[in-house]
Parts: sequence; C-alpha cells; structure tokens
Amino acid sequence: MRGLASRRPPPIRWIAPAILLALLAPLQGCGDRGPEPAPAERRVSTQAATVDESRAPAGELVDQPGAPSPGEWTLPGRDYAGTRYSPLDQITTRNAGDLRVAWTFSTGIPRGHEGQPLVVNNTMYLVSPHPNIVYAIDLRNPGGPLKWKYHPPTDPAARGVACCDVVNRGASYADGKIVFNRLDNVTVALDAESGKVDWETKLGDISRGETMTMAPLVVDGRVFVGNSGGEMGVRGWLTALDLGSGKVLWQAYNSGPDKDVLIGPRFKPYYDWLKGEDLGVKSWPPDQWKRGGSTVWGWVTYDPELDLLFYGTANPGVWNPDMRPGDNLWSTAVFARDPATGEAIWASVTTPHDEWDYDNINEHIPVDLVIDGKPRKALLQFGRTGFVYLYDRATGQLLSAPMYQHTNWATGIDMKTARPMEVPEKKTHEGVNVTNICPASTGARDQQPAAYSFRTRLFYSPGTNLCMDYKAGRTAYIAGTPYLGAEVVMYAGPGGHRGEFFAWDPVAGKKVWAIPERFPVWTGALVTAGDVAFYGTMDGWVKAVDARTGAVLWKFKAGSGLIGNFMTYLGPDGKQYVAVYAGVGGWAGAVALGLSPEDPTGALGFVNAMKDLPDYTAPGNTLYVFALP
Amino acid sequence: MSSRFPERLGLAAAVGLAIALAGCTRGAQGGEGGVPGGGLTRGEQSDTVPGVQPGIVPEVVLGHVSNPYADDAGAIATGRQLFVGFNCSGCHAAYGGGGMGPSLRDSLWIYGKRDAQIFSSIAEGRAYGMPAWGARLPDELIWRLVAYVKSLGTEAEPEKPPRHAADKVMKAPKPRRAEG
Repeated sequence: MRGLASRRPPPIRWIAPAILLALLAPLQGCGDRGPEPAPAERRVSTQAATVDESRAPAGELVDQPGAPSPGEWTLPGRDYAGTRYSPLDQITTRNAGDLRVAWTFSTGIPRGHEGQPLVVNNTMYLVSPHPNIVYAIDLRNPGGPLKWKYHPPTDPAARGVACCDVVNRGASYADGKIVFNRLDNVTVALDAESGKVDWETKLGDISRGETMTMAPLVVDGRVFVGNSGGEMGVRGWLTALDLGSGKVLWQAYNSGPDKDVLIGPRFKPYYDWLKGEDLGVKSWPPDQWKRGGSTVWGWVTYDPELDLLFYGTANPGVWNPDMRPGDNLWSTAVFARDPATGEAIWASVTTPHDEWDYDNINEHIPVDLVIDGKPRKALLQFGRTGFVYLYDRATGQLLSAPMYQHTNWATGIDMKTARPMEVPEKKTHEGVNVTNICPASTGARDQQPAAYSFRTRLFYSPGTNLCMDYKAGRTAYIAGTPYLGAEVVMYAGPGGHRGEFFAWDPVAGKKVWAIPERFPVWTGALVTAGDVAFYGTMDGWVKAVDARTGAVLWKFKAGSGLIGNFMTYLGPDGKQYVAVYAGVGGWAGAVALGLSPEDPTGALGFVNAMKDLPDYTAPGNTLYVFALP
Repeated sequence: MSSRFPERLGLAAAVGLAIALAGCTRGAQGGEGGVPGGGLTRGEQSDTVPGVQPGIVPEVVLGHVSNPYADDAGAIATGRQLFVGFNCSGCHAAYGGGGMGPSLRDSLWIYGKRDAQIFSSIAEGRAYGMPAWGARLPDELIWRLVAYVKSLGTEAEPEKPPRHAADKVMKAPKPRRAEG
C-alpha cells in the first residue's frame, strides 16, 4: 500500500477539507487501522517556543505536549510523553542515503555514553558519563565551539557503587536552566546561558550504595528525579524538586508504609489485590522493605490532560527471592502520581515477588489509540519481562499484554489480575541453578527507549534476545556493597542473534518488521516526520531505516559501539541534523571496558553473552552529528 | 614520606639529603631500585639525584612486608569464603572477573601487584570506590583475601570459573519486512 508514500499532489477540490482534517486529527497511516478517532481539540503545547514559519516542516504539526519548537529538543524524550518523535522532515526515505558526518565532538570520558544531547536556542548541551561534565556547544559558529563547560566536583568514589557503568541518561531544559543528575546523588541546575550553578540538591548517599543516573523530567516548574541502587539494597524513591530553588517539594518511596509511598484516599488501583493498607510493608519479611530496591533509574513521563506522572520501579532488592517471601510491593511496579503532591493515583505490578531481576523502569509512553473501536487513553511499555503492557492510563487497567520476544518464564499475563502466569520450572530459588530462562535479567529490552510515530502509528524499539542461568544463594547485607545473592550467566537466545530493532503495532499487538542484529540493540530510537527511524548497534553501526518497511536506507560505522539515544534538531542554517553518542559501555558493554571474559558471571552475567564484543569495538566518547550534503 | 624532610630545610638541603639516603639504602635494595654504576658518597659534589623508577616499589617503602599466607592453600580457601561472604563477588564478580569493580584476574594491577599493595587496596580502600575494610576486618583476614586474589587464574585458584557452553552465534536470519 502506498498511502503516504505517494507524493502526487491532491486534486484541488480536496485541499481545503484535507487541510481541515490535518489540523483536527492525527494523520492516518497506511491501511485500515479502524475508524478514525473523533477529532481532538487542538491543544497548544505549553512550552512551545516561537515557531519560525519559514522553517516549519511541511505537513501538519502533531500535538506533542511539552515539546519545544520543531527544531529544538529540550526534554529527554522530546515531549512529556517521551515519544522521541520529531516533526522535522528534510531527511526522508528518499535522501537518507546521502547522510554524512557534519561534525563531531569528544566528551573526553571513555565510558558508556547513554542519554541524548539537548538543543535549545542554537546551543547543544551534553552531559558526559561520570564525572558528568556538561558541555554547551555554540551551534552558530563553524565547528561548534564551546560556549562553556562545567566540570562538577563529582565524588570519584561514586564509581564504586554504580552497578552498570558510570552512565548518565541526560538533562532537561526549562526556564533557562539545564537540570541533570550527578552520579554522586546531586541534582544540579545550571544557568543555560552562562553555565553557572543555579542550585544543587543532594538527595542520596553513596555510603548507602545510592547513585543517580536517570534523566530528570521537568514539568511546570517541578523537577522529577529518581535514584539508582537496586543491586545495592537501596530503598527507591521518586522526588520532586522546585525548579526555581532546588528545594524538595515531596518524596515518594516505592516500598514501606503508605505514608512513605504517598498512598492515601486518592489511590485507586484497578486490581483488588493491590488494595489494602501498608502493602509496602506487609508484602515483605519484617523490615526487608527498607532494602526493597524499587528504585527509579529509568524514564518519567507525563500526561497534561489527566495531569498524571508515569514511571516504573526496579527490582525488589536482593536477587535471591527466598530471602524476601511475599509480593514485595511496590517493586517492578508502574505508578501514576499527581505531580503537585506525589500522591499515588493508581499502580500496577508486573512481577510480584520477582525472581529474575525484571526491573520495570522502561519508559511508559502515553498515546491515544483506538482499540476495539473505542478511543482509549492508553499507556504502552515494552517490559523487561518480554510482554508489551498496554494500560488505560486513567485507571491502570491492563488492556493487553502480548509477548514480543521469546519468553518462557511465564505463559502470559492474567488479565483479571495483571499478574503473570508463571512457569514453575523457571522460578528461581536459593541453591538451585535454574537454566535457560528467557528473557535474561536484562530483559527482552532494557532502559534504551522506544519512539512512537504519530504518522505510522507504530512504535520503534530496540530489543535484546538473551536467556540465562540463575542460581540464587544466601548473602549478607553490608551497606555500600552489592546485595545480590545470585550468580547469573547470560547467553544468546533462540536464533543466535542477540538483539534486534523492530516496529510494533500497538493495536494489533504484533511486530510489523524486525531487523536482527549480532549484539543487543542498546540505543534509544528516534522517528521523524520524514518517516525515517534511527538506531545504532553495539559494534558501532549507525543506521537509518524506512519507518514503514524497515528497509535500511543508510549506515555509518562510528568509532565505538553505540548505547545512546538519537535526537534531531534544526541548525541555525535551517538544516536538519541527527545526533547520537558513540561510546560503548553500560551494562551490556561492560566487557569492553576491561573485564575478564573467562569469568562468565562478570557484570551480573552479561560478560558471558558479550565475550566477543571487544573483537568489534573499544571504548569511545564521541558525539556524531549527521546531515544531508 | 614527607616526614623524612623536615619542613624548615631548604630545597638544596633536601636534595642533598635525598642523594645521601639513596646512597645509604642502595645496598638494602638489592637488584631492585638500586642505581647501577656510580654511586655517590656523603660529601661528594653532584648535580644529579639517583633515579626513581616508576612501577618499582623499594622494599624500604613497603616496610619489608609480605603475605604470611602466601601459597597457603588453606588460607586461600578461607580467602575465597571471605570473598563471597563480604560481597567482594558482588562488585568483582563470582570469580573475580570484574563488573562494578575491575577485574582481579587480569595482568593490570591499577594500584600495584605487590602483596602489600593489594593489602592496602583492601584495607584502606581506593579513591574510585573500593571501600576501606581495614576497620572491619583484622589483618589476618585481609591477608587471606590477598592470598585468594593472587591465586586467581593460577593453579592455586580453589574454585575455578565454570566453562559455559560457547554461544553459537549463528548467521542472523533475514530481516522480517513489513507486510503490504
């Protein structure tokens, strides 16, 4: 079907209603995806900067609450929903093959580069891995000279408690400030013009094994920050800071009594087993909730219409499940919270009494879909578990949970309770080596985020195809050291390819196309109005693909493997640029940072699955920026 | 080390003292760290200072310390138990291959490979996040850990890492295309 691929101009008599339709409703993709949704009221983005009409992309502007002007990128996922969709369309399926490097920049820190740069007011902002140097690049001048650089006094000892390389997942920009997290638990706001520190707020302590790696989200003058340390027996939380002063507005823990978890009269979980008092205490052995993991090291998203924040929580602390009988709430959960007060509005849990380290911190993307003929305010997440969770984001009802990768620890999700239907042979226990569990603890996908196209109505996601052996054992809690109690070894899943990049139809609940890769795909996706999707591989290939067909349009071999997230922007010259870091590392790439391949348990078992990675790539630290000639 | 050079001495006096001390200690160093060829005696005029050799730690600095449990199989086995029991395996992996912390099996010793240097790393911790265990573990236990760490990758290693079935990295299947 040609659909939008057709470039013939429409007959004159259709133009007026076509423009009206374009203004009132999202553009239809190929094929019949069901009845058109009722035209939505056109909401103006509250953060929209002045749009330069001469540079506005052809075609309609999709409503992306929280997004800046089309050529800028001010939040980690571009908009509040984290769609990572760009309205820029100079780069298309026809000309993407002509892309070439426009310029590069080295951060100087040869560790894993996750996250994405920001572009606002013709300035690009980068945050490096620890020690988290922030660079501001002046895009108006040839070669992109530095406008300023901020090298914070980040504690070197923080590297010793960071589980999965010393990555940073990026900053947010709002009200003239660049806000980011230091690995040593300090949230920092810099003046975007001068690079001077506006405020710093210390929220955690490395002596408790805490670190911070996530990208803060800023909404309406509030900064939302989460901690890391689920492998260190840390107790996880989401904290709101005032953007102006850095003062703590509220803090919601994800385990413990309701008063700490900010569960009160407004909390209305959809499922009965989640209703009750102090479940965050009762679902643990005494006091074990204090080391309950459930950290917030992934992505926070927001729906301004329902005024709800969405985020997921990590694994329940110690990896030996026999040391924590009970459902271990609120680990591996998804929360919807009121951004003003932090009060929990609803929650659901993906692996109660998790036995596989299936953190639930992957991004939850709010998207309006038509399901069974009904328009739904949905929320979609690619779970570590191997299932795609599609919720009603107003109520927390799970609408569907199809499998998207080879999965054998559960046969499916019980739609009456949202609980998994577990396979007894794959449950892990102390002293037992359970073999061939799929997916491995990295999940069918980890934090590396997907993108959603309003044009194709498809999601574009990185994926991982690994299985594991998991042997739990007794361990002691020593603050500041790992609290694991499990020996894990990972290896390739069925098919032998360890990763893939795929397009997912959220309504049909299936993949539309998939590109297998040798290594896990660990980059965050980007999709544009030019119908081009971007991803990269851990052995260093940057790829542009046709968003409709999955055909690879262009590829480029970068200096190091890629684990960062793509973004795109308009330069001062009015041209579209695509940027991504190339610097291998992270949890998946740890072996390339000098670990010994003969110990298969290294990097929580990842070393065994990636022994050959150093044959393909070495550490790097370069930002690549691509453009058409 | 700064205690060797009283602060009130001027630079020239400090240099002279260093030359004299280098001459005095040369014999004690044996083949390591000694300056080959001409040495200087007290009172001789010279404008050179005997060299310091990066990577070589003179015995006088280490205080002639060595591991009382070197090559002791029982101590190495105990060291293995301590390695797991105190969560060393959490950072350095179950067989020392590394993860959050560096590999202890490879030939790169960031802070030195002498027993006393490894002892120091464990007891005093290191700037990039190795915790200091000296207040929690008595020396006799730390020396056993040193013995275990030195055994990694050698015949003396008490529990060798398992060989895992080699992954079969098969040819990637053809990409699945969009329908229609």
